[in-house]
Amino acid sequence: MGPPPVVTGISPKEGPPGTRVTIRGEFLGISATDLIGLKICGCDCLLSAEWKSKNKIVARSGPCKGRGDIIVTTKSGGEGTSTVQFRGYHESVGPMKESAVWVEEAAPPSVPWGRRPMSPTAYTPPDPLGLSTEGDDCKFPEEELHELFPDGSGKLSDENFQPGWYLLEHHSNTSYEDLKAGMIFLQRKVEGQKEGQLSFLKANTGAVMDQLDRLVLLKNMYEEDHRKNGREPLPSLQSAIEESISLADSLFSEILSRKENADNTREALSLLTRHKFLFQLPSSIDKNIKKKEYDLVVNDYTRAKNLFGNTDVKLFQKILAEIDKKIEELKENLYNRMKTMPINVQEQTKYIRLLISLNWEGDAAWTAILSRKDYLMALMNKVKDHFKQKEEQESNEKGRRRARECDWGAWRAAWCGAACGALAAELHALWPLARRYFAGDLAGEPAAPQRHADLKEMIIAAVESFSEQMRACLLVGGAGSGAGGAAGGAGADVLRARLVANLRHLRDAYDSLLKLDLPSQPLSIVEKVIFDYRVHGMTVFLQRAHKRVKSLAEKETWKIEEFSDYGAITNLPHLLETYMNEALSSIHKCVLNSGRRENPLLNEGSEPSAALQRHTQQILLAYVTVLRELALHHEDQDFNNTSLSVALDQRLDESCAGGAGGGAAGGAGGGGARSWQQRLLIAGANAHYTRRLTLNNILEAFHTYGLPKPTQAIQTTKDALSTLESSIAETYLEHKGDPLVGTIEPSMYMGRHQTDAEALVDDARPYVYEIINNLIAVHAEVDSVCGAASTRYVRDICETVCEELARLAACAPRHAAAHAAPAAFQARLEYTLLRIAVAEHLTRKAENYLMEALAGLPPLENEEDKKRMDNIIQGFKKRMELQLASLNCNMETV
Amino acid sequence: MFSAIAYRLSTTFLEEQQVCGASSSAMSKKPAAQPTLHKVIMVGSGGVGKSALTLQFMYDEFVEDYEPTKADSYRKKVVLDGEEVQIDILDTAGQEDYAAIRDNYFRSGEGFLCVFSITEPESFDATQEFREQILRVKNDESIPFLLVGNKSDLGDKRRVPLDACRERAQAWQVPYVETSAKTRDNVDKVFFDLMREIRSRKSDDSRTANGNVRDKVKRRKIKCAIL
Repeated sequence: MGPPPVVTGISPKEGPPGTRVTIRGEFLGISATDLIGLKICGCDCLLSAEWKSKNKIVARSGPCKGRGDIIVTTKSGGEGTSTVQFRGYHESVGPMKESAVWVEEAAPPSVPWGRRPMSPTAYTPPDPLGLSTEGDDCKFPEEELHELFPDGSGKLSDENFQPGWYLLEHHSNTSYEDLKAGMIFLQRKVEGQKEGQLSFLKANTGAVMDQLDRLVLLKNMYEEDHRKNGREPLPSLQSAIEESISLADSLFSEILSRKENADNTREALSLLTRHKFLFQLPSSIDKNIKKKEYDLVVNDYTRAKNLFGNTDVKLFQKILAEIDKKIEELKENLYNRMKTMPINVQEQTKYIRLLISLNWEGDAAWTAILSRKDYLMALMNKVKDHFKQKEEQESNEKGRRRARECDWGAWRAAWCGAACGALAAELHALWPLARRYFAGDLAGEPAAPQRHADLKEMIIAAVESFSEQMRACLLVGGAGSGAGGAAGGAGADVLRARLVANLRHLRDAYDSLLKLDLPSQPLSIVEKVIFDYRVHGMTVFLQRAHKRVKSLAEKETWKIEEFSDYGAITNLPHLLETYMNEALSSIHKCVLNSGRRENPLLNEGSEPSAALQRHTQQILLAYVTVLRELALHHEDQDFNNTSLSVALDQRLDESCAGGAGGGAAGGAGGGGARSWQQRLLIAGANAHYTRRLTLNNILEAFHTYGLPKPTQAIQTTKDALSTLESSIAETYLEHKGDPLVGTIEPSMYMGRHQTDAEALVDDARPYVYEIINNLIAVHAEVDSVCGAASTRYVRDICETVCEELARLAACAPRHAAAHAAPAAFQARLEYTLLRIAVAEHLTRKAENYLMEALAGLPPLENEEDKKRMDNIIQGFKKRMELQLASLNCNMETV
Repeated sequence: MFSAIAYRLSTTFLEEQQVCGASSSAMSKKPAAQPTLHKVIMVGSGGVGKSALTLQFMYDEFVEDYEPTKADSYRKKVVLDGEEVQIDILDTAGQEDYAAIRDNYFRSGEGFLCVFSITEPESFDATQEFREQILRVKNDESIPFLLVGNKSDLGDKRRVPLDACRERAQAWQVPYVETSAKTRDNVDKVFFDLMREIRSRKSDDSRTANGNVRDKVKRRKIKCAIL
């Protein structure tokens, strides 16, 4: 706290109210704002105070009277003191006085200073000295007069009149000469009174006489009057006056009342015109509301509030109340409108702004956001319900199931489109609104901490509901009943088009959300939906391929398409490849490409990638199954052994048997109905081809379409195929070799096996030829189908045959206790011939069998036998040249 | 009736004159707790620098712009020869318009600084009238009084010869000092000199309550010799 202010100087030191006063002193405040109080003679003059420096303040004096201190109060120093005083006085302005003060003609008597009212009681008698005091405005200080004359008074009529006071008060500035003149004047007046009445009468005889005459005349008139009107002249006068009063009343009352009315009316009219704005406001508000010019309403209302808000006038208050009511209604109306959906965001913002400018109590923007969100959710549900209902309706019409399935996809697509559109549009409105709200544009309490969280929750809820719906729409249904419908009912193109369309809807929605700059969480939800849908699409394509592959069996026509390196194949492997290619290209075209800010579909080790692998494997295995089914399914047809010449028939016509086999093979080549063993072989060839070529092609296709290679699936399939191949081979062998082998023994023993020892052996027994013929038939059949791969089958059969021979050879000694030389010779001959015939097809094992059989025979004893054997062999070779050639050739060599 | 009033008025008038003098001296003694108060009155023509001198003395401030004074009052504590006293300065209007009200002010003054401008002979001439008026009001030849020639910084514009000033001071038997409110030359001196005179005058008064005029004159002569 600094030192208190001290006023040490005042300029001027006295003056009437409003005098500009310069106050000087010390510590009068360190700044203009530091000065917080100024009193001159007790009157607060702070309002006019002008702080100049810490030593100087300029102010105007207030309506004070008398002498008083100048007290300055500052914030820094508190209340101050004063060593000098100011004297305020009230100047009286006479008609002759030059004055800067404008004298109001009809000055109200309540004015606290100014001219004194000229009532008779306050009448000041003329100056006894006959001197004018006009212009002598300098008053002798009253206090000093009181000090000088403690009991005195300056009034001429007072008991305690003090001449000194009077003179000081009125003539303090009168010159000595003037005072002397005044003295003489006063003395003369006193002398004049002292001279007596006589001289007065003398001087005025004429006038006195005149007066006397007048008095006599007056007396006479009075007496006459008295005589005429009786003692009391007053009653008649009174009645006359009363009569005139009533007459005047009757004359003027009407006019007066009319004037009063007119005045009132005029006043009311002027009031009306002056406050026209206010009076017209209710109707103009109505009008503007009707015209939807809400801005005008708000402006008018604010203006009216500013102008008349604090009015005390009842009428205005009433109108204001009315206006307030209207505004309340308007607010309610606006509020409802703002809440009523659908509404575009600009309009909503406009309403919010209007509500804010109308001082809406609530958080309008937040309500708007909430209602928008509710609307969004409701819209979503509506869309959902609508389509659900449609769907049910459709499904109720069971009779048109086919149609339903066709329409189903279309409904879904429409649903998806509608939902996407709704989400994108509404979020487009909601999000900017929220953004502006949180930017503080729309008042309310955006700072409230849970608001942000609420909003986020809202958006996430909306997006989640959307995603759920989409899932329900596209994924669940698609996987269930939809898949059958989609795969079965709609063609691939339709399916693909739908998928692409749906995906495009989703992506459009996602794109628009991206543009909104939404937080990442809701975005990721949508992205997930898209991703899932893409996975779903992929799955659908693969499933479709799977289905088609499964139904391949029906497509098998057994028509040989081409002879490949791996044998004759039907169109199955090609169909498989085509189906796979189609599925893959669909996947590539529709779902593989990632949109903006989407995860790539097939990441290394991701779930979809695994699914792709799995599905591929399923498809391929299904194919394998189909092949297997085709190959091993034979209930409708027994193994056709017509091509084998059955030894039991006891017909030794080899050529007939061979011709039958050849004819059968030829018929099979041209006809559609293949014998079962041919199918078996074809299936094997197919399997082989698929394993070698098709799978590689498929692998290539995966690569071409940018998909990860399903190496594992391929490997598994390859394994399955080889298993299938071997099983086919086995089956074939079983069905073909067994009867063949079975015929050996009976034919061997038939009749001529027990030959007499003496008989000369000149040729092999017929069973050898039968074996050779049978082998030729098998070879022909296998070769016609399998081509290069045929050796395998033939070799296997040879092996079996050799094994059987070895077995029979081993058994032979038991039948014939002592082998005769010719028998041994014959056996040796037969074995050797067989060996020569099938030399091309002998495996090591088969060779062993044969050697074993030969070893069991006693060797040739003499040259003659050897020679004979050679001759017979030569003869055999020559005779059987054609047969041997046909056994050892294949398709290519022919 | 009027004659009676007039008579009483004329008789009391003379009495009042005496009472006035007595009461004014009594008033000055009244504030016992307060330091002694010396009432100084600035007189002189308009624009000679009365207010400038006053403000320079009071606040060490020189006011350039001219604003005619009506009647200003200043009061502050000063240390006069080791004794704390209060000086009350009444700065009066120099303009003739206010001549009528001067008497009232003069009546309360205990000492006078009669200021003129050395660049303005008219103001020097006017000092004569002021002197007469003061003497008439105070009815005292030896009232503390200093003749002050202001604006001494404007030596090149001097139009009142120093001799004339000295001569007049000699005639009045008062000290003559030349000051400059602008440079503060002799400003403190004139006020303190005047206060000293007032003080010595007061102590004389208290010693000889009814001292005759001749004594006072004699005393003043001695002081002049000192100066």
